Amino acid sequence: MIKSEICELLSIEYPIFQGGMAWISDGSLAAAVSNAGGLGIIAAGNAPQDYVREQIKVARELTNKPIGVNIMLLSPFADEVAKVVADEKVEVVTTGAGNPSKYMELWKSAGIKVIPVVASAAMAKLMERLGACAVIAEGGESGGHIGEMATMPLVPQVCDAVKLPVVAAGGIADGRGVAAAFMLGACAVQMGTRFLSADECSIHPNYKEKVLSAKDRCTVVTGRRLGHPVRSLRTQFSNDYQKVEYDSSVSDAELEALAGGALRLAVQEGDLKKGCFLAGQAASMVNKRQKASEIIKEVADEAEIILKRASIWVK
Amino acid sequence: MLFETIAKIIAERTGCDVSSVKPESTFAELGIDSLDTVELLMSLEDEIGMEIELDQKVTTVDDLVKFVESKKQD
Repeated sequence: MIKSEICELLSIEYPIFQGGMAWISDGSLAAAVSNAGGLGIIAAGNAPQDYVREQIKVARELTNKPIGVNIMLLSPFADEVAKVVADEKVEVVTTGAGNPSKYMELWKSAGIKVIPVVASAAMAKLMERLGACAVIAEGGESGGHIGEMATMPLVPQVCDAVKLPVVAAGGIADGRGVAAAFMLGACAVQMGTRFLSADECSIHPNYKEKVLSAKDRCTVVTGRRLGHPVRSLRTQFSNDYQKVEYDSSVSDAELEALAGGALRLAVQEGDLKKGCFLAGQAASMVNKRQKASEIIKEVADEAEIILKRASIWVK
Repeated sequence: MLFETIAKIIAERTGCDVSSVKPESTFAELGIDSLDTVELLMSLEDEIGMEIELDQKVTTVDDLVKFVESKKQD
């Protein structure tokens, strides 16, 4: 069985996190992952506090295992959501899109373990100094908002920069990815895209179908011009967006407005024309509908076989 | 003095000529994004031997100089 220090630190069975995906990772998906022995994470995204409180309640009714909440720091509701997670004493908070320093004291005094997502070694160092208990080093292969570094060079550099446990993310969707992450120095992984096909993931059937039929070059990055690149499946929306992204007659505000609500259209309505279907480069490795528990067991078992065999390279 | 130190770090990071970094230059113009800012501050900490926690938005190089100077006096 695959075990690491992160399992003891967070009281979980498998060193596998389910990424907090805005509009997607709700209380039911998080609970299914936590019940399976991984760490299920609810995404606060751009949602107000009532939604987050409700989803924590949903998860708590379905599981008594630890759960996490991902807080997107650019959200207009970040302040109120930061208080909700402290009130509700969720076991783990992961943060994305910025620097969570102003909430660290509040969360730590509520006994929450804080695990920021970082896209550079310097950011990881800063988080260590602020009292994070681990960091998630996420490469640009992942879906949604991304950094520019790829997982392969990012993970070892973050491992060298900090003494904290490092969780690898970005491009990992099976046991080979997990084994590779451990070889790079990580002691856990976070997967998002792989869980899009989970039975407990309540995205629109069109979204699931797009992920299941995706090929290796099916994702594109848009939004670099605005300074916050986003990876999604290539669709009518991404094609239209790319056309205007480098058209200087279109203002930044117009470009920003074009993307507004596109993720919701994908997740809830399955709108194949105007929806933005976020997914990582590993989307083409997601080929079957499974329960979250089957995903975790399968990935962990594959990693175990590969890691046991790793010594064949040493003569 | 502080300005020269910051300008030198920026020039090293971005590959631009140090003389092109002016007090009124914005970080955006210099091609410095938020992650670069974190690295810039860490290099600056090594140079001046104190920890800097940036808790406000800085747009220009001069904003950063003034911010660090105010922290030095605390």
